[in-house]
Amino acid sequence: MTRERIDVFLTGATGFLGHYLLAELLAPPHVRCRVLLRPPVSASCARLGRLLAGFGLNLSALIAENRVVPVEGELPDSLNSADLGGIDLVLHAGGNTAFQANGSDEPARTNVAGTKAMLTLARDAGIPRFVFVSTAYVCGEQVGHLPEAVYPTAPPLRNDYERSKWEAEQLVWDWGRRNGVARICRPSILFGDSRTGRASAMKGLYLVARATEVLARAMDGNHDADRHHIQLRILGRGDATCNVIPIDWAAKQIVRIALDPATESSVHHVTNPDPPTHQEVKQWLEAYFDIAGGRFDDATWPLADANHYEDLFYSLGNICLDYFRHGLTFESQCAANVPSGQRLIDGASFAQCMKYAQATNWCRNRIDETDSVAPAGGIDPKWYFESFLPRAVPRSVVAKVQELTAVVQYTITGPNGGSWISRFDRGQLKETHAVPTALTPEFEYRLSYEDLVDVVTCRKPLQDVFFHGSAEMFGEVELALKMVPIIGEFLKEFPVVGEGIPSLAC
Amino acid sequence: MLIETTIIEENVRIQGRDRMLEGVLAYPADRAKFTALIAGPHPFLGGDMRNNVVDTLSKTLASGGGVTLAFDYGGVGESEGGPTDWPAAMSAFWKDGMIPEEHDWVDDVGAAMAATREWCDAPLVLVGYSFGCWSIANHLRDSSAHAVVLVSPNPKQHVFDDLADCDVPLLIVHSDNDFTCSVSEMMTWFESIREPKVRVQLSAGEHFFRGHEAELAKVVLEFLQGQRLPGVEQIEDTR
Repeated sequence: MTRERIDVFLTGATGFLGHYLLAELLAPPHVRCRVLLRPPVSASCARLGRLLAGFGLNLSALIAENRVVPVEGELPDSLNSADLGGIDLVLHAGGNTAFQANGSDEPARTNVAGTKAMLTLARDAGIPRFVFVSTAYVCGEQVGHLPEAVYPTAPPLRNDYERSKWEAEQLVWDWGRRNGVARICRPSILFGDSRTGRASAMKGLYLVARATEVLARAMDGNHDADRHHIQLRILGRGDATCNVIPIDWAAKQIVRIALDPATESSVHHVTNPDPPTHQEVKQWLEAYFDIAGGRFDDATWPLADANHYEDLFYSLGNICLDYFRHGLTFESQCAANVPSGQRLIDGASFAQCMKYAQATNWCRNRIDETDSVAPAGGIDPKWYFESFLPRAVPRSVVAKVQELTAVVQYTITGPNGGSWISRFDRGQLKETHAVPTALTPEFEYRLSYEDLVDVVTCRKPLQDVFFHGSAEMFGEVELALKMVPIIGEFLKEFPVVGEGIPSLAC
Repeated sequence: MLIETTIIEENVRIQGRDRMLEGVLAYPADRAKFTALIAGPHPFLGGDMRNNVVDTLSKTLASGGGVTLAFDYGGVGESEGGPTDWPAAMSAFWKDGMIPEEHDWVDDVGAAMAATREWCDAPLVLVGYSFGCWSIANHLRDSSAHAVVLVSPNPKQHVFDDLADCDVPLLIVHSDNDFTCSVSEMMTWFESIREPKVRVQLSAGEHFFRGHEAELAKVVLEFLQGQRLPGVEQIEDTR
């Protein structure tokens, strides 16, 4: 039986949660998504394409099939209701996560004015359902068991972010009373993918993990100190819970709630029914970074008598105030969707997220977006080998392959072709020159210009080009083969984008 | 006699030791005569179930009356798992041509073999290609296989002592210009292994058999046609 088509308008699609929501929305074939993307839409599409490639999705193909329709615009004021024509529901996941305004008009501009604008557009376009992604911490400083209901009066709120989300919830709930079905989803602290550890942004609990890494590195260089008895006060309670949830599970729950055809407005806590305690998180971090000694303490921030280790640990900010707060429990219908006996996050999945975070240098591996954009007119092999590679390789996984020492030749055939030789020494790209050069290659990859464009834009996996396609290897073929997975990972890390270059499908 | 045979392909999920694996089951519309598990090459070297050799063998053997299962090792395609520390894995692979996670991929073959048995009780044939030869060989003792096919094994890289644990007919197929193992090295190794065995050397094709897939699959199918698998008539060439 063919299900009736659903057209969704999604905001925030390039965000940490948003691209997971988009991938989840696209899983059933009867859903089409119109996605709001900041101008210039080509750059936003390139970013979205890279994010979706992580799920094996090809944005170009999705656009060609009308499963995804990009809409260029920015909240609160550059859209009109015509952009929402024919839409069945709005999933408003766009938001600003700045905790404090610090003199700017954010996060209120995006979170309150932006939501208000979306609600007005939805009303004018006659859209019957509006789903809003809020936060579980709209509860502010309340403690105890929190209901799945809006808070009609503002609880004591800790920061501008929580206030902006509370105000937006009021607007959404009021819209529901007047115009249709309103759903409010309140995820707690988002963490990496439960299957892969993947995360495209590392805030929240990742800041605590980074602070722990800072401490561990300091201990690496200090052989006089005992790394397992570090004098560190952790401001918070060890027995309180840390409500973290995997990003993939959160997206699945929110999309399920969004597509639920029920006609009642509702509030949903997308929270962990069996969250780790702060003590557990501390133990996981200590085990992963091989340090120990911190103790939970009732002291308050700032510490008047902070020692050297505390200065280091808190150097990323007063992180514990936000994440080691007193425990809360949440009423949650989503809890029924956790398999019995399973935890959403345990020591193993936490460690996997840490590995991913370190492998991507805490998401700092990316070179600037403009650096990965090919020059106008398409991909020039000379630009790729002589300009792009030297900038990207040092920040890539290649630099971490410490055994890699080789001299490699790349020959591109066809009218735009040429030949270049690179020398790698213990993972570092030492030099690249056009042939002729004094360097003598150990092996050579030979491929057509069309194949080069396909692989550097991730339209085709490298392995396909060598094992199914027309590319060839010469010289020490076994070495050339061993380097294929290394290059393959590099290409996924640093795909080339640009005007007129279809997006990515690594 | 050539008969057009309809092949049905079905995406399947296989419960591995601690992860779910993706596979493709191919089978003829009429009664199955044998079952073939096909283990592909190293995941770092294009080892997925879409690999040209794996795919051709799968379709050819299915058209010859087999139920074939090809699958992706952990971390490949939609299969769960795989190395969590990629830089370390790639460093190890560059240095030694192998990584510690290979033993997990051997376990994946065991899971795929169990699934194959569960889905079809026809006589089992094990087929390995490249790295898959070694991952298959690790399971011969308990496999109850009725025939074994190894395509481009690399005895310089892997130890095949486990072949001695299984005395069913064995086919070794290789090319005369495989850069991983020369013809003389292959013949020396072949002489050292147990009977019954057959060696077929193809002209060209290197290690990847690009453009020679059909020729390779024909050799494998003809070998299986020559076997007397219990309870079934001789396998027909229905391509």
